[in-house]
Amino acid sequence: MQINNKIIISCSIIASLISLTVFAENNTGTTPNKLTALTHAELIIAPGKHLSNATLLVENNRIKAIIEHGNIPAGAFEIDLSGYTIYPGFIDPFTDYGIEFKYPKLGLTRPVYDIKRIGGNADNGAIHSEKEWFNYVYPDKERAKEWINNGFTSVQSSKLDGIFRGTGVSLSLADKTANEIIYRARSQPFMAFDKGTSEQDYPESLMGSIALIRQTFADANWYNENKNKPTNSAINNQIEFNIAFERLDNLADKQIIFETQNLNDQLRAAHLLKAHKLPANLLGNGQEYSRINELKALNYPLILPLNYPQAPDVGTDDAEREVSLAELRQWERAPTNPATVAKAGIPFALTQFGIKTEDFWPRLRQAINQGLSEDQALAALTTQAAKMAGTDNFTGKLEPGYMADFVITKGNIFKDGQIYSVWLQGQAQTVRSLAQAKLLGDYQLNLDNLTLDLSLQDVSKNDKPKIEGNLSSGDNSITLNQPQLDDDGKLSFTVDLSAAGINGMSRFTLWMTKDGIQGRMTDAKSHTTNVTGIAIAHTVALNSIDNESKKTLKNEASVNLVSHLTFPNVAYGLSEVPKVEKLHIKNATLWTSDKQGIVEHADLLMANGRIEKIGQQLSTPSGYQVLDATGKHLTAGIIDEHSHIAINGGTNEGTDAVTSEVRIGDVINPDDISLYRALAGGVTSAQLLHGSANPIGGQAQLIKMKWGESAEQLKFANAPASIKFALGENVKQSNWGEKFVQRFPQTRMGVKAFFEETFDAALAYEDALKNYDDLRASDKKKTIAPRPSYRLQAVAEVLNQQRDVHIHSYVQSEILMFIRLAEAYHFKVQTFTHVLEGYKVASELASHGAGASTFADWWAYKFEVYDAIPQNACLMQNKGVTTSINSDDYEMQRRLNQEAAKSMMYCNMSKEDAWNMVTINPAKQLRVDEFVGSLTTGKVADIVLWNAEPLSIYAKVTQAWVEGKRYFDRDQDLLAQQVIVNERAALIQKILNSDEQAKAGEKVTPLNEPQWHCDTHYQAWGQAHQGAK
Amino acid sequence: MQHSSKLVFFAALLGAICTTLSPAIANDIVPTPKQSRSILIKNATVHTVSQGVLNNTDVLIENGKITAVGSQLTSQTSSKAVTDTSETHIIDASGKHLYPGLIALDTSLGLVEIEMSRPTVDNAEVGYMNPQVSTATAYNPDSELIPTIRFNGITHAQIVPNGDGLAGQSVLVNLDAWTIEDALTPTAGQFHVYWPHIKYMPEDEKKKAKALEKNQQAINDLNIAFEDGYRYFLSDKAKSKDKNKHETPQSATNNLRCQAMLPLYQGKATLFAHADSVGQIEQVIALTKKYQFKLVIVGGYDAWRLASSLKDVNAGVIYPHTLSLPRRKDEPVDLPFKIPSLLANAGIPFALGFSSDWNSRNLPYAAGYSAAYGLTPEQALKSITLDAAKLLGIEDLGAIAVGYQGSVVLSEGDILDPMTNKIDAIWIEGRQIDLNNRHQQLYQKYLKR
Repeated sequence: MQINNKIIISCSIIASLISLTVFAENNTGTTPNKLTALTHAELIIAPGKHLSNATLLVENNRIKAIIEHGNIPAGAFEIDLSGYTIYPGFIDPFTDYGIEFKYPKLGLTRPVYDIKRIGGNADNGAIHSEKEWFNYVYPDKERAKEWINNGFTSVQSSKLDGIFRGTGVSLSLADKTANEIIYRARSQPFMAFDKGTSEQDYPESLMGSIALIRQTFADANWYNENKNKPTNSAINNQIEFNIAFERLDNLADKQIIFETQNLNDQLRAAHLLKAHKLPANLLGNGQEYSRINELKALNYPLILPLNYPQAPDVGTDDAEREVSLAELRQWERAPTNPATVAKAGIPFALTQFGIKTEDFWPRLRQAINQGLSEDQALAALTTQAAKMAGTDNFTGKLEPGYMADFVITKGNIFKDGQIYSVWLQGQAQTVRSLAQAKLLGDYQLNLDNLTLDLSLQDVSKNDKPKIEGNLSSGDNSITLNQPQLDDDGKLSFTVDLSAAGINGMSRFTLWMTKDGIQGRMTDAKSHTTNVTGIAIAHTVALNSIDNESKKTLKNEASVNLVSHLTFPNVAYGLSEVPKVEKLHIKNATLWTSDKQGIVEHADLLMANGRIEKIGQQLSTPSGYQVLDATGKHLTAGIIDEHSHIAINGGTNEGTDAVTSEVRIGDVINPDDISLYRALAGGVTSAQLLHGSANPIGGQAQLIKMKWGESAEQLKFANAPASIKFALGENVKQSNWGEKFVQRFPQTRMGVKAFFEETFDAALAYEDALKNYDDLRASDKKKTIAPRPSYRLQAVAEVLNQQRDVHIHSYVQSEILMFIRLAEAYHFKVQTFTHVLEGYKVASELASHGAGASTFADWWAYKFEVYDAIPQNACLMQNKGVTTSINSDDYEMQRRLNQEAAKSMMYCNMSKEDAWNMVTINPAKQLRVDEFVGSLTTGKVADIVLWNAEPLSIYAKVTQAWVEGKRYFDRDQDLLAQQVIVNERAALIQKILNSDEQAKAGEKVTPLNEPQWHCDTHYQAWGQAHQGAK
Repeated sequence: MQHSSKLVFFAALLGAICTTLSPAIANDIVPTPKQSRSILIKNATVHTVSQGVLNNTDVLIENGKITAVGSQLTSQTSSKAVTDTSETHIIDASGKHLYPGLIALDTSLGLVEIEMSRPTVDNAEVGYMNPQVSTATAYNPDSELIPTIRFNGITHAQIVPNGDGLAGQSVLVNLDAWTIEDALTPTAGQFHVYWPHIKYMPEDEKKKAKALEKNQQAINDLNIAFEDGYRYFLSDKAKSKDKNKHETPQSATNNLRCQAMLPLYQGKATLFAHADSVGQIEQVIALTKKYQFKLVIVGGYDAWRLASSLKDVNAGVIYPHTLSLPRRKDEPVDLPFKIPSLLANAGIPFALGFSSDWNSRNLPYAAGYSAAYGLTPEQALKSITLDAAKLLGIEDLGAIAVGYQGSVVLSEGDILDPMTNKIDAIWIEGRQIDLNNRHQQLYQKYLKR
């Protein structure tokens, strides 16, 4: 109580001090009631609800009534708005308007492992959930114009920085005190993946951000469930105070506003929030149309920016070559996006975020030209936006009791109408002079016994009002000098009327009356004459439509789209996802990768996505297509144990020595052309691994090359969980530069110790969970639960044999060390990957039962591979180790068949064994050999047809099926090449034939991520490459 | 004082490093002495490159040269062709394939031992203007990598400097030698310029503008450097005329870098310009036109689109990107494999290269790929033998024909296909070389475990 009083007192002192410096506020009584009647207007009271010739009654800052017929109450000040339209004020739910705050810049240099803990904040610099942005609201009159000039009356704001950004505030754009403009002090929590200005290293990758969010959700739940438990104070298990977690309570009752930069991230955010059952509104990106069904299924409302890309540079063939088809398509399709979202029935609002504000209306009109309805657009600007801002019970409509926030236009704002004034909390802000608009037209003026014709035209540009006019009599016409309109609607000008017998310069002042105009003229002798005038024809001249609108109209002719929409929406995307085939492949040489070995002149039947039958001279069941494969070779699809393709936002979360909480599965990029290229090389599955920047890396994801499917559908169903571990130079930071010498471990000795410590921590965590779980319900209420840790949970899964380890390793000492360590902790190492000195400890690998996935012939790229030899695979295979060849490389991935053949050249491996190294052996290492890896009846039809022996340098894939669907066909590929050439040509012509308006837009440099390798250090946030090796 | 003590310390440190690494960076394979006996390879399938494939053919090598190719050959020094004698070593090559030794262009062999260990890396000098440096200075003929490269049939390699701008001069070596002087195969001068380009276009607008500006600056600087070289050449020409008249001593203000470039302007050396895009290649062509350089494009990803411009300046192309990804997302997935055939169809003289150190042993399989994607196997083989030699201006290397060097490779299978390739023997100038290498040694060692 006392504290509150004090605050109020000090505030009022400050307020009065400030007031004194300007003028002393009359603080003696209530301000007079202001009742205004806006009469004879077209009222758009809500989307789809129009009233003609109605009155909007405004009392102070609220709408008092809407009067359709009947009388205006006495005492109301009337403004006649005949010919004008009133819309509810527009609302932008995604801004940072009016937040006066900056995070301190510490200027730290990497590595930064910890941040300063202040006032009970979170332990990560990108978590600001304790911030409530209303605390920092201060109106900014100048910036407010960016919205007001476009008809916006309120916004939702937050500091747009960090992952958990704090709680936003909804506020009016009115030029009033902060207290008056705050509509909803705590509106919605804001979030993003981008860590913003946080100087802490973690998270450096997109998957790291996602993991941090997941962990923070769990932390907040745990904190808020446990913080008030009456605990036995003898046991020191109080929870330390954490305001960041406290403020994340009850997220399920809020609508998170989630910012992402592109469609893939938007979908990731949606999946993440869905998994936590959290309501949200997602910032859009303009690419929604390309995966609209997936987005629709996730059912989150969107906040769409109108970011249309600038036309790519296609001025020269050299420049054009660097532009992708996807970019060309986006240029053409972006304006169609809002209509597509609307058609899909996804609720959405609009935002000015990400574009220049003067582009907003031209862009929106383009969207309307492309099929967005006016009612949808209006809902997006009003009712939908109000819902997202949490102000829908008093903004977004013209309704009694709602805020007097509205827009007065002349004409239809969605076509060519112009905004004249915007009312914010009952206060009008002029955009274009209403008085001016009314004055425009032609009049017959009478002054004394003289009759003259007056003509006034609007030549305003943007929001700078300007009038031109002339006085005429018969054929004589005299231009008015410097016509000026003041705020009260008085027009003044000078004119030389000598021709009419009035010598010298005469000065006119005119104003509107009910029937026309009246005013006075002062002549050269300072003699004043009264002037009256009758309107001749009150026309809205065509030139009141501004130039931008004209251009928009012109564009109507070009709605015909020349681009294709494919899955994914990039070059070589498929126009539809392929269907499961029923197929009889005849007379091929089958490389079975099982006991049958290589069988000539054999047939294979495929149906329901499975291999149905294998044999010789089979008869074709009815309904099956026949494919004559005479002279061709049929194999199981190649499986790559170690790959980093089709990942967004970094392959390493290399900031901490253990990051087992991050998941490659969170960041699959289904648009990556590498998927298609892999298929063209006969690869049907690949394990996408975290990099090797730390001993315990992230969780891996096995995928199938189902080109065109969504990220979720690319995941290999029922594959065992797995994780990347790593040893050697990369994890001890040998090649990271001299700054990186602090993190434990820095030697192979330390690596072992680090694993031991982490394993023990995971075991202790499990114990704690179990002990808590074993408590009686009543005891649980009195005991603090262990803090959840996705990190330790993943490690515990390894120790429980529930998560397979694929461990990056090179030299014999570390391989042997880890075998013995695993044995001590009673788990089996599933696969050593790279394992270039595996040949030195082949017997130990074999007796442990670990697989070995290696390179055919890589060596000498760093010191720890100086003893690597191309006979490694043979030596390990000879000792009974399940051996495979992997790529760890985008390019080599498509030549794994010939990489396997190198063991034939270097150490006389048999064809069968060599082929097994890229099919059944990696399937075993990934423990998916019951599904794939061989041509065996009953297995999934992941199969590849080759034009020659698949191990030969001359072999080419002719077709590749995944789950019985043909995702690659060389003939189709040839056709696609031509289709792409034609489509590009058409789009380029369209750009070259477009006017400047259609070419204008946001400058876009496409996401330029490097090819990921084990040791790629990539800062996803801020996009600073540290170089890829 | 302090300075020198530092130097001493540094030297000691270097010494220590050298000692620790020395067993690692020197191989113990002994180079074969000069050919003393004639070699008669009988009944081979001879891939002559210059005359097609000849079945059941004999090849005679004497004094390091091929002296006869035909059937039923006998040694010129000995009429007995059926048995080994002290003068003639006879090899029965029935069912085997004989190829010219392969030539690996655009490698860093002998300059780089372990890519990520800086003390072992000597391939790129700092700066934009280093025409005076030559890889011959740093080439280590004892590199452990070299015997592993030979193992796949490569007998010669171009040792190329890397870097930015004018990176230096390359040399051609044979891969079995005691010293660089033994290894050198004489050619005209080879200068390398890496034409500027932006490696990663930044996403940020400002950074992007800066990158573009920096790139343009680099291009301008290079053009000025070449102009400076030309001015030096002109004044040198004038001076040498003067010298004849007045016998004045050489100017003391000689610019080493410009001096090094003289052979380029004198038409005695070749400019190897590393450039890939149309824009880069066109800039290079404009430059060479100005100074009448002999030009070879290295890289040349887009070169097949510029046949007539390249023909204008008689330029050839070393294409090292066969085993690469398409540079642009919309390009056909197999475009890099097809580019050799596109070059061939465009009538542009070309050879394949393999820009690497250890990995350049995969050159034959790059050629194999180009054969799978449009070249004939003969063309593919030619692109890593005879055509490679021609781009370096060598007349007697890369084919099995009389008068050519006796550098040949005998394989049980197809030298371009690892599925069947198995190399039995390699001769460099008639010297049969040891096929042992670090990998074989470790393999043999661990076969015993």
